[in-house]
Amino acid sequence: MGKGGKSHEETKSGEDENMAAWLVGLNTLKIQPFKLPPLGPHDARVRMKAVGICGSDVHYLKTMRCADFVVKEPMVIGHECAGIIEEVGSEVKNLVPGDHVALEPGISCWRCDLCKDGRYNLCPEMKFFATPPVHGSLAHQVVHPADLCFKLPDNVSLEEGAMCEPLSVGVHACRRANIGPETNVLVMGAGPIGLVTMMAARAFGAPRIVIVDVDDNRLSVAKNLGADGIVKVSTNMQDVAEEVERICKAMGGGVDVSFDCAGFNKTMSTALSATRAGGRVCLVGMGHHEMTVPLTPAAAREVDVIGIFRYRNTWPLCIEFLRSGKIDVKPLITHRFGFSQKEVEEAFETSAGGGSAIKVMFNL
Amino acid sequence: MKAVGICGSDVHFLKTLRLADFVVKEPMVIGHECAGIIEEIGSEVKNLVPGDRVALEPGIGCWRCDRCKEGRYNICPDMKFFATPPVHGSLARQVVHPADLCFKLPDNISLEEGAMCEPLSVAVHACRRANIGPETNVLVMGAGPIGLVTLLAARAFGAPRIVIVDVDDYRLSVANNLGADGVVKVSTNMQDIPEEVERICEVMGAVGVHVTFDCAGFNKTMSTALSATRAGGKVCLVGLGHNEMTVPLTPAAAREVDIIGIFRYKNTWPLCIELLRSGKIDVKPLITHRFGFSQEEVEEAFETSARGGDAIKVMFNL
Repeated sequence: MGKGGKSHEETKSGEDENMAAWLVGLNTLKIQPFKLPPLGPHDARVRMKAVGICGSDVHYLKTMRCADFVVKEPMVIGHECAGIIEEVGSEVKNLVPGDHVALEPGISCWRCDLCKDGRYNLCPEMKFFATPPVHGSLAHQVVHPADLCFKLPDNVSLEEGAMCEPLSVGVHACRRANIGPETNVLVMGAGPIGLVTMMAARAFGAPRIVIVDVDDNRLSVAKNLGADGIVKVSTNMQDVAEEVERICKAMGGGVDVSFDCAGFNKTMSTALSATRAGGRVCLVGMGHHEMTVPLTPAAAREVDVIGIFRYRNTWPLCIEFLRSGKIDVKPLITHRFGFSQKEVEEAFETSAGGGSAIKVMFNL
Repeated sequence: MKAVGICGSDVHFLKTLRLADFVVKEPMVIGHECAGIIEEIGSEVKNLVPGDRVALEPGIGCWRCDRCKEGRYNICPDMKFFATPPVHGSLARQVVHPADLCFKLPDNISLEEGAMCEPLSVAVHACRRANIGPETNVLVMGAGPIGLVTLLAARAFGAPRIVIVDVDDYRLSVANNLGADGVVKVSTNMQDIPEEVERICEVMGAVGVHVTFDCAGFNKTMSTALSATRAGGKVCLVGLGHNEMTVPLTPAAAREVDIIGIFRYKNTWPLCIELLRSGKIDVKPLITHRFGFSQEEVEEAFETSARGGDAIKVMFNL
């Protein structure tokens, strides 16, 4: 996976060269050839049809790094994707050419303790689309393990398939937080991750969901997507006490679980204060390295802090939620672009601009 | 009352007249780690008779709220707890207490050991919430009374390897004698964290730290704990140090290291008593100083406890 490289050879006659969007330097994306690795017996070659832009993709574009991962050489960007099977390896039994599939980006080692324990999302050897040095999937074609390609039912589009990736973060968070018919949920942040988390929480049976944000537009989107309550908040630390009051009022009962989908001192502090004794706060958003939060009063009420990193074993459930209509992600796709140099640049600008742009999707 | 231990919270109330949101507004009897002999029981009490030696669980939950009804009575908002204002404590000749919170001691357990059930309960509760067992390597931050009972409880729960850290050599040697697999001396300097994490992991061995108990509750200890614990592990915040803390929360969350809050205990006395009865845990070495119940000795006892160092558990014998 992602082991392909830049090709300087002439294209074979009658064959299209595989092209991809490469991050070649700070703020610089270029559509260039992307040589595919050979197809292994357990691999599939997938023609990409829908690729979404994630906040992390934008972060790499703007800073060439994310946490401890640094882009040291040109790297293909993108990881939220779905496409059509072109070819499968000799050992592949579950897929045939023509199948529509959504791709789970990360290939783990399956030899370490964490993998063997099923917590493969934490594998130290994880090879993940567009986390350097592994190439991403904003390309005409990629080669990927077939067991990480999940067949889409007829009533789920390829764009919805690509949305399985961000939705998976919400689903994994709901599982770790044990969301069910008795957990009132608070979501900090109504961006793409906050919104998919809200939708996942509802699908898991949460009876009441309140979502907060600084932006009125995003709050109204959240309302239309079914939030029971929306609360406008500020970026001012002094406002925490007053906002906790308004949140608890909007919730009615206590807050059992909070999802911090923004990841700032303010949102985390609010979440810790607003969550009832014995409840849980999930840190989903990865904002700042060090955080200053009222940890002790929370611990003294046995409010636990649960870390969320990507997902594991979520594609089948996401696909089922989409197939059955329990979750409808289509309203989150607000902007669409084709796969040309100009459109790639414009798409990333749009995504980076936030605001009314929730999910920006490429159609290839 | 026959045996009453002094807790850090008792000392804190003495020195500041407050603890977190609890404020001593009127005179209050101090003390809550206690054991004694039944003098008299109420008409409905069937499980105890006068003469029985009992250890007391301090806190009375309301038993009407959601938290109590789901068994998490330790976080009952209406909890009435010995020596948490405005509720009087138990450093007294006699107290009246619900009989269901008085636990009979077997013959081979002393009243002093009975009083030790209270701090030991904090550790037992922490080990339960953290799921300590035969596969969890444990790191303990702080070798004070709570760090030490946590070391003992973790071993009783089956932890295969336990490393404990402290700034104080004497306390580390006590920990060594109590069975720590490794001791690491650390500083109060934030800059030393990476080097300390390295030393801790070296002492723990290749598999790494599955669960860390921060029994001190400072930015330094919490930051070290979060960095030293392996992906998918847990850090229990046991020590309640400062209100706001500045810690590397995000890198920990990005490795799914969870933070578990520990507040007092629930349903721990029967297990503590059994662990003491069977000899799986021996708390006697932790009782370092003893005092009688006179004005002068009470003052001296609190001074001794407050200075820390070689004073681990200071016990009153009444």
